[in-house]
Amino acid sequence: MEFQSCFDIIGPIMVGPSSSHTAGVVSIGKFIYELVGDYPQEVNIVFYDSFAETYQGHGTDKALLGGLLGMDTDDTRIKHSLEWAKEVGMEYKFEFAESCEYYDHPNTTMVTVKHDDRLVKVGGASLGGGLSKIFMINEKMVDIRLNAGDDFTVLARSYQPRGKVLMEAIG
Amino acid sequence: MKIQSMKELIEVCEREQKTIGEIMLMMEIEKSGRDKETIISMMEERLIKMKEAVDSGIKDASTAPSGISGGDAVKMVDYVQQGKSLSGNYVSNAMSFSLATSENNARMGVIVATPTAGAAGILPGVLFSLHKNDGTPYKNLVMGLFTASMLGFVIANRSFISGAAGGCQAEVGSATAMAAGTIVELKGGTPQQAVNATAIAMKSLLGLVCDPVAGLVEVPCIKRNVIGTSIAFSAADMSLAGIESRIPCDEVIEAMYRIGKDMPRTLRETALGGLATTETGKQVKERLFCKKS
Ligand code: SF4
Repeated sequence: MEFQSCFDIIGPIMVGPSSSHTAGVVSIGKFIYELVGDYPQEVNIVFYDSFAETYQGHGTDKALLGGLLGMDTDDTRIKHSLEWAKEVGMEYKFEFAESCEYYDHPNTTMVTVKHDDRLVKVGGASLGGGLSKIFMINEKMVDIRLNAGDDFTVLARSYQPRGKVLMEAIG
Repeated sequence: MKIQSMKELIEVCEREQKTIGEIMLMMEIEKSGRDKETIISMMEERLIKMKEAVDSGIKDASTAPSGISGGDAVKMVDYVQQGKSLSGNYVSNAMSFSLATSENNARMGVIVATPTAGAAGILPGVLFSLHKNDGTPYKNLVMGLFTASMLGFVIANRSFISGAAGGCQAEVGSATAMAAGTIVELKGGTPQQAVNATAIAMKSLLGLVCDPVAGLVEVPCIKRNVIGTSIAFSAADMSLAGIESRIPCDEVIEAMYRIGKDMPRTLRETALGGLATTETGKQVKERLFCKKS
């Protein structure tokens, strides 16, 4: 019984075009935004497999940056998030790879962000229908379920006390 | 309360003397711990977003960033307004609304996934057509969304609802089946009739593969949503006429699951087969991905 609520079926409210390649990815970015407590200054993104193949058509790049900028799945600014990132001075870089060594799923991404003197590396996968999961924070395997449209503030905060540990200071 | 099959659903409805939508609402209250008003207002919010997507899509003739969709909702509305449509008001309005929603989705506009973004046009299409043609009040449409989610809930937990997992039969097929049952319930049919319509609609889409051109949720997705609305109305009509599905709904869902499992990977949202690999499909992919990368 993976689906548990009527809102798993009717929802999320989201910008198109894909619940897995767009909405679920906004959530991954948004979780990182909450974890850092701000939008990060520097971002390196690796898209694997299906994300690497079809990110352009689905706006997966825009979705991830939108989330990192603090946008929700239904924020119409997501369409222009590349421009928004430039505007606020967030530097980003995309890389592509065939498969992820940490997690076996076609819709996977690894995001490394730098903010002030801190660095954090987060692995996320979008499982479909707007559901996604964070499977890794700084080489530590975790299992954090993200439902698109939910508020991740509290969830991210529970990883923040240790966040000082998780977010390694840059040498 | 735990409902795992359509058979159980009908039994619970009959025992409690409640509609399918009311049972979903009761289940949600029980599971989420939220009160009834909160849950209803969350569902209302979704209906409002659906309406906004229809309203903006219906007058937007612009093309999607890919260049392979857009502008058809406006054409459809014009044609229907001229009184030319052959399929009657219910179906032709639903077709227009569903086009509007799915085109909006392709433009990265705001939509509600029902159950996925790819199949987001079908439910709003039929719901707002009911409202337009017989004045079904918005309050009832909100209850209709509970009906639809209950039906989708059973399908999703017994089978699948995404093209990557089970082909388009799982996505457009499930959405159409949900819509058919919802129409029946909104028109006063019994839970048994609603489930019958769900079965009839799903049977007619069994085997449909997922083969989106260039991997985009546009071709053939948008038009499949449109056709889904007319299948939903036909299935609802049959069921309301007293026609039954010879194969019980749970078995139809099970067949959908088996067919999906048998489907090769090339026909499950990889854009490696079907329409995606036609001459034109391949050209589109080349043009898009060479241009941008
Ligand atoms: S063809 Fe595939 S992507 Fe398109 S609507 Fe059907 S399941 Fe979704």
